[in-house]
Order: sequence, then C-alpha cells, then structure tokens
Amino acid sequence: MKEEIKNSNWKLRKGTIIAAKQMTDAEKWFDIRLEDGELDHEPGQFVQVELYGVGEAPISVCSSPTKRGSFELTVRATGRLTNAMHKLDAGDQLGIRGPFGKPFPVKVMAGNDLLFVAGGLGIAPLRSLINYVFDNRRDFGKVDILLGCRTPHDMLFGSEIGTWQKRLDLNFLCTVDRGAPDWKGNVGLITTLIPGVTIQPERTFAVVVGPPVMYKFVIAELIKKKVPERQIVLSLERHMKCGMGKCGHCQIDHPKNYYCCKDGPTFTYDEVKESKKL
Amino acid sequence: MNYHILKKDELDGFIKKLSGKMKVVAPVARGAGNFAFQEVSGASEIALKYIPTILPPKKYFMPQRETMLEFDISGAKPSDTAVVDAGETAVFGVHTCDLAGIQCLNMVFSERPRDYNYLRRKDKILLIGLECGDYCDEYASCALVNSHMPSGGYDLFFTDLGDRFIIHVHTQKAEELVEEMGLAKAVPADMTALEKVRAHKRSVFKKEVNVDPRKLPAIFAAGADSKVWKDVGARCVSCGNCTNVCPSCYCFDMADTMNLDLKTGVRTRTWDSCQLEPFAQVAGGENFRKERSERQRHRYFRKFKYSVDKFYRFFCTGCGRCTRTCMADISLKETLTSLVKENV
Amino acid sequence: MTNASKTATKPKVAFFDFACCEGCQLQVANLGESLLDILGAIDVVEFREVMSEKWDKDYDVAIIEGSITDHHAEERIKKIRARSRVLIAYGACACIGGVNGMKNSFELDEIRRCVYGKDFKLFDSVKTRPVHQVVKVDYFVNGCPIYPPELVEVLKCALRGLPYTVPDNPVCVECKLNENVCMYDRGVSCLGPWTKAGCNSWCVNNGNICYGCRGEVKNPAKNAASDVIGKYKLSAGLIKNKFEMYNKCKEGDINGGK
Repeated sequence: MKEEIKNSNWKLRKGTIIAAKQMTDAEKWFDIRLEDGELDHEPGQFVQVELYGVGEAPISVCSSPTKRGSFELTVRATGRLTNAMHKLDAGDQLGIRGPFGKPFPVKVMAGNDLLFVAGGLGIAPLRSLINYVFDNRRDFGKVDILLGCRTPHDMLFGSEIGTWQKRLDLNFLCTVDRGAPDWKGNVGLITTLIPGVTIQPERTFAVVVGPPVMYKFVIAELIKKKVPERQIVLSLERHMKCGMGKCGHCQIDHPKNYYCCKDGPTFTYDEVKESKKL
Repeated sequence: MNYHILKKDELDGFIKKLSGKMKVVAPVARGAGNFAFQEVSGASEIALKYIPTILPPKKYFMPQRETMLEFDISGAKPSDTAVVDAGETAVFGVHTCDLAGIQCLNMVFSERPRDYNYLRRKDKILLIGLECGDYCDEYASCALVNSHMPSGGYDLFFTDLGDRFIIHVHTQKAEELVEEMGLAKAVPADMTALEKVRAHKRSVFKKEVNVDPRKLPAIFAAGADSKVWKDVGARCVSCGNCTNVCPSCYCFDMADTMNLDLKTGVRTRTWDSCQLEPFAQVAGGENFRKERSERQRHRYFRKFKYSVDKFYRFFCTGCGRCTRTCMADISLKETLTSLVKENV
Repeated sequence: MTNASKTATKPKVAFFDFACCEGCQLQVANLGESLLDILGAIDVVEFREVMSEKWDKDYDVAIIEGSITDHHAEERIKKIRARSRVLIAYGACACIGGVNGMKNSFELDEIRRCVYGKDFKLFDSVKTRPVHQVVKVDYFVNGCPIYPPELVEVLKCALRGLPYTVPDNPVCVECKLNENVCMYDRGVSCLGPWTKAGCNSWCVNNGNICYGCRGEVKNPAKNAASDVIGKYKLSAGLIKNKFEMYNKCKEGDINGGK
C-alpha cells in the first residue's frame, strides 16, 4: 500500500538559480533562491543539490548567512551531478536538501584572532566564514588570510579577493604553485606563507580548508607556530550521500568513527588527529 | 508473565488465520542448506528448524531497493512526493539473533533526523520470534554477544516444547491477536518445560571466543593497526556478501531513475556495502578506504567498537551469516580470536 | 531541465554489427513494450536485422554490436565513429571482445589454418579487439547477450547527455540482494565474484552460473581464487577455464585505442 510521507527528510526544497557565472574552466558559481524562504545555514555547512533524474551531490555553501534572500554555491565539475549542474543557468530550477553538518565554531572563535588557510576549492566553504567575520568584524581580533591555488588562472572569487587586498582590517597573502607571465605574487606551496605570519598562538584560531593532501603539511607548520591543536579547525572532505549520518559513505576511520556529514565536516585537529586519513 | 500455548498440529491453522489478516512471511528451505524468508500460506511451507536465512528479516524493514521519492518535471515547476510502500506483514519464526539485528536498526533509524520509511514499515510489522534450542551451526557466536536468549524486540515469541509451542505475548497488539485466536493460557507444567529448555541452552551456549566481551571495544581500539586486518584484507574478494547478509548493516546508496517518457522518475534507495571499492571514494578521485584491509577493519569496527560507543551495544548479533557466506572463508570467530591473542 | 527535452527533432540512431552472433539485436527486437517507448523517443535510421534503408548523413547515436577481427572491420568502425556524435558498444563482443577473443589464445596463423584450410592466407584476420580498443566508445552495455533493462537505462542516459557508469562491483552484490542460493553452495563454480555487476544477476536468478560475460571488475581479488577453491573444494583449473571464454582481450585495454 503506497502512501505519502508528508514529513519525509528526503523531500526537497525547491530552488531557482537567480545568477550563475563560470569562474574558471572547472568551477561555476551559482546564486540560488529557495521557494520556502531562507536556507538558514551557518558558516561551514553544506547542502545536497538534487537534479531530478540525475542524482544528488553534497556542495559547501560559499556565502555567509549574513547575506539574506539567497545563498551561493561554487561547484567543480567532477561527477555526474556537478557536470550536469554546469549546464544550468539563471532561471533553471533545482532541488535542495539541508543545510547539513556541524558549522565552524563561530561562537567559540569570537574574541580571538583568526588565521584562514585556504587551498584550491577550499576557499568556497571558507568564504562563508570569512564573509561572516567581515559582517561581524568587531567581534573578532586580528585576521590573516592565506590563499593558495595551482595557477593564477585557477583563483576563485578574483574580484572579491581584490577588495580583500585593499582592506585595512585584515592581512591577505596569496601564493600559486606555478606562476604565469603576468603574475607578480608569490610562487610556492601554501605552507611557505605560514612562517612569515605573525600570530599570538594562544589566542589564534587557524581555520584550514583544502584538498586532503594539504592538511598534513599545513598543520605541521601551525603546530610549529604553537597554535593549540583544539584551535586548529578543519573541514574534511568525504562522500556525504544522505547528510543524515546514516548511509555510511562519509564515515571516517577514527576511533570515534565520525560521520563527516553529521559530526563534521568541520572538526578541530584535536578531534580528528587520530584519523587514518584527514 | 503472559504465556499461551499452541499445539504443534494447530500451527497450520494459526498461520492460515493470520494470513487471512495480513501477509505472512517465514523461513522456507531453498535448497543446498539455504533458507530464506518468503511469503507462506500454511505451516507445511515453513522450515521450523533452520539456520539463519540468506538475507536477514531486515529486508522487510528496509527493502533491498526502495522508492523514496517520485518526481515529475513535465510541468513548469518540478514536483515530488515522498512515498513508502508498506503493507501489514507478520514475520514469523525470527531467531533471537535477528531480533537483536532489528533492535539495532530501530535505534539507527529512529535517531534524528528520523527515517520515516523505516519507521512506517516497522509499525506495520508483527514480529513473531522463534527460539533456537541448540546451535544452528559452528559459525554462530550468539552467546559471545548475548543474543542467544530472548530479550524483547518481538510481539510474540515461540519456544518449541516438543508437542506444543509456548508463546510469550509481549505487546498489546499480540495480546489482542492471541485472544482472537483463542489460544489457551500456559499452565505451571508448561513453564517448567520452558525453564528446562532454557537450562539446556545455558549448558550448551558458551562464549564462542575466549574473551570477556566487555573488553572487546578496548581490544579493537588497541588493534586498529593489527596485522589481522592485513591478513583478512589479503583474502577479501570485496563482493560485499558479508555486509549484505548482516542483520545490522544498513549502509545505502541513492540513485535517480528516469522513466522512458524522460519526464517522470523515482529516487531509489539501494543497499550498499562498505566492502565495495568505490564506497568511500569522493568525486575528485580520492578513495578514503582504498585497501581491502581498511574496508574489512571498518566493517568489524562498526560491529564491535563504534556501535558500543554510540548505541551502547554490539552491532554483531552472532548470527554467523558473514562467515557462512564469505567466498574466501574469512571467519568472524577466527578474526576475533587472532585480535584478542594479539592484545592480551 | 535537460537539453534532450529541448530538442524538437528525434535523435537519429543506427545499429551496426561486426563479428558477433547478432543475439544482442535479437534482445532489442524482444524488448516488447519498452521498445515501443524507445521508438517513440528516437528515429532508427539503420538496423540491418529489421530494415533495408541506409542513411547517408551523420548519426546522433551509433549502437555497435560485435568485435573487430579484421582490417576491413577496423576501417569500417573508424568511418562510423567519424559520422557519430555518440557511440555505444553493446554486447560482450563489442565491449570486451567476448567469445571472439578465444582466438587470441592461439597463434593467429595456426587458428586461420584451422578455420580456413590451406588457403588461409587469402582470408584477412587480426587479433580480436573490442570496439573501444580501436575507436573511442562513449557508453558500454556489457553482457552476452545484453541485459535489456540496462540497454534502456543507457539509452536514456545517452538521450539526456548524462554519463552511465557500469557498476564496478562484483555480480555477487546483486545476486545477494536477489537472495539467490550461492552457486558455490550448490557445488558449482561461478564467476560472479570477479565479474562486473549491472545485469541484476540475471543468469543466477534463472538457475545458471555467471560466465563472466560482462568482464572483470577493475580490481579483481587476486588471491581469492585459491581461498574460494579451498573453501568449496573445487579444482583450480575450473575457475581459470571459465575466464577464458569471455575475457581474452585485455591487452592494451585503452578506450580509443593506442
């Protein structure tokens, strides 16, 4: 006997793309408005994006909750859903589940200095926090932002980052793995930027988001700088299929076997240092 | 203490009456020493002596493939409906190991955010347990995890007393059924006979692995890098049999299927397995459990460590299915024994 | 929401066969009701088994059956590829070489002499290759014959411009979900543990073993065969021999050829 489940957690919220822009060859940015109102997320959370008949994929929200009316996603075309999503533009519709996951600990971080370390697409989830901090700037201490990407061509949010460079209430540094003829900035891995930053480690929260391979090296540098392990905050990548801590795909090989979608994706290093892989 | 009696030769009438009210499923012999829960219409079809079925009765709570959402994109705006297809079902003849498995799943799916598909099915199922008087075979390890004796999780529970069953009536739903069926109340002699069955069981069922089960989570924590996982991984076929047959495994995958009109379609939930190579791979290509040894370790940790931390119980019910079905002869009892030896 | 729904004209689809038994075409012809639905969505412009017309323009979708076994076939498939927007290989012969691949176990001239007699040099023949070892293949529909529901699934993906991923899991996964009694429990060896799923364990559901017609999973268990043989007390040659039937074209297995 088939019946409808009105309160099913699998029901989708209807969204409409109100703006879209190809950012790089691989990444596209979307601004999405939900039919039922605000997404109501916190910095660091993610949503499941659904295209009917294609499937779902977990995507980090890259806009701050302080931005009202719509939310933003930056999507790299890597899988079935994300490739199909790249074909969408303003006016197209999609389904959203969420927001899901444990956000960055903004309340705990308030009053402290912040050191953001972003590698590649890691800038997307981190941007939700960075913009949140900008909109609540007086609640936080000194802010340093370190950004690394493969080439100048791969840099996301270029024009926005241009404004960061001009701000006086933060210190912004950027590096690329490989330069380009017109690139005048730093060349080298993101780890090379850390020793040059002046911080008071006991009152600094370092928020690190990047590809899995980056964590080990960045964390080693931060520990050299004496940042306490519980003040190093990470956002881990796993395949989060349900977002509800059930499907099992995102479970982390850690004595506590965290579900990345529910216990994370943000963790302090202290919480996850025993993981087999970060 | 509410016990009733059903004579063996009245079982057929009981099943027939029950199947007049709802679908009745029970273990049926499938050949080559295999059994499966399937629909029955009389007692003669039921295998009262059976070893754990190929798939546990979890398939009635969380079907192998289940439609969760129906959608239609033909209009100006897409629409969708969350659905469940659940009918009143009596699952007859469930052993205590499988009752334990269902209790595990109940905890998982009632944890928020709740899974209403599971919970709706659960509401519509009448669970009728059946006691094992002896071990099913050498693969079982139910005494180790203390699931060899009934401890709730059923509506009715049958124990074979030779010429009759003594039935423990555990819920109001079951009470009403028993009254309607007109089953006689048990008398003191029946209770004595039941106690005899239990005493026999206490003498036969002994911890199958030489370890204090309370120490297992700590042994696992200490054995995360044990060579046991390498040994098991070297043999594993990655066929997913061990998890698909496990009464407490519940990992799943979601996928959309479009109908040929290319306008309407469904989202389906299908059982998935942490033993399969693509399971923990992300779209970018990184695979967080690439090695068979990592995947096997993960499976065992979910049964003996993580579940204890989170739900205060083992998610191994000792049914022995994973060992019985393993193509490469990986044995749960042997794996535990090796791990225990390393960590004493 | 999809591009396919926006196009007004129906995609032009052509079926071609190379070295094969044409059994997969038969499966298409036997699709029944879903065939009618498919025919509502596409325009079949060439299909030797059921029509004599030829099409001289480009194809939106070319569906290829059979393996490449001589120079003529190699030229022909390259021409078809050049005229096709999307190319689907279907059936074991086209996807993995299939039974035609058994020829690769022998010296080419030896097998030519055996088949064609003393004038064998007059008959062109090369090592058997699946289609993707000659030209790039966009979609694979494995199986001998194809599992019809999978072909329908692939067609839907092709029409909507979506990828179709052949499950990289053993057939055992689907076989267990279907709650079949394991063939090994019946005392028969079966290639399910090493063969790619996607057929819904069609053969075992119907009382047969898995012959490995869909090809091996990407990372088959190397050591498992000896454990399996040990557990079920089977002879070692049995499993190996079964693999010879379909899986003999794995050399240089790159989509698009060398």
